[in-house]
Amino acid sequence: MVGNDIIDIAQAKKDSNWQRPQFLDKIFTINEHYLIHNSKDKTETIWRLWSMKEAAYKLYVQQNPSRFYAPKQFECFIENDTGIVKFKNFSSYTETKITSDYIISEASLKPSKLNSEVIQFNAPQINNQSEFLRQKLMSSASKQYNILEDELDFKKDDYGVPTLVFNGGTIHVSLTHHGNFGAFAIA
Amino acid sequence: MTNQELITKLKAIVSPYIQDEEAFKNLSEDTDFIKDLKINSANLVDIILDIEDEFDIRLENEDMEKMLDVKSAMAIVNTKLAG
Repeated sequence: MVGNDIIDIAQAKKDSNWQRPQFLDKIFTINEHYLIHNSKDKTETIWRLWSMKEAAYKLYVQQNPSRFYAPKQFECFIENDTGIVKFKNFSSYTETKITSDYIISEASLKPSKLNSEVIQFNAPQINNQSEFLRQKLMSSASKQYNILEDELDFKKDDYGVPTLVFNGGTIHVSLTHHGNFGAFAIA
Repeated sequence: MTNQELITKLKAIVSPYIQDEEAFKNLSEDTDFIKDLKINSANLVDIILDIEDEFDIRLENEDMEKMLDVKSAMAIVNTKLAG
């Protein structure tokens, strides 16, 4: 099982004003506030932590089918590109990759390398970015598992958790999409 | 405040963050902020702050947890205003 989350840095600047009073208090714990204030690039750290929380949440709900909004309760601990996110008794390992355009985090139950494939959308050519991303996921899973694409079914449960289903099996996946970027992970 | 007045206020609050116009036009108690309106999860924080400002209430962690659809937002606001 894997959870991932991508942030389009330019889009995040447009969408969110983290300097708004109370914004950071609603999302981050005291320890995370220290991490942010002690970092060279506060904006980058904020979105990195946010993507870690989202990725860990996506993993958590695969194990514990549910739906809720509790970003502050998923607490992040970081060391270089690696991190740990804890929520109640749940703990997950995260890997983060930061470029000048995007930040992506991936959460898993055991320490593992980041395996998300990142896709940059070319807006005018793609009407439906989510559909495009899903196609890429299907074709990649088809190759990886040696199953015909036609035999793979994309499903989302009542909580929004995606899986690929085929005759006799289920493949756990995670999809993320923000601004001009999307990514999928198969595990 | 009637339910209709409350929905109208909530509709105005969420409007800057919605990404699905059609779902927004048809907004009802059953509308989901993320699944239907396609609101970015980071913008849910803005909505929570806007609700606090508009109704002069304070939302705690347990209130935020449920803040995923219009119906829950209405219930939370009503409870806070009654308290």
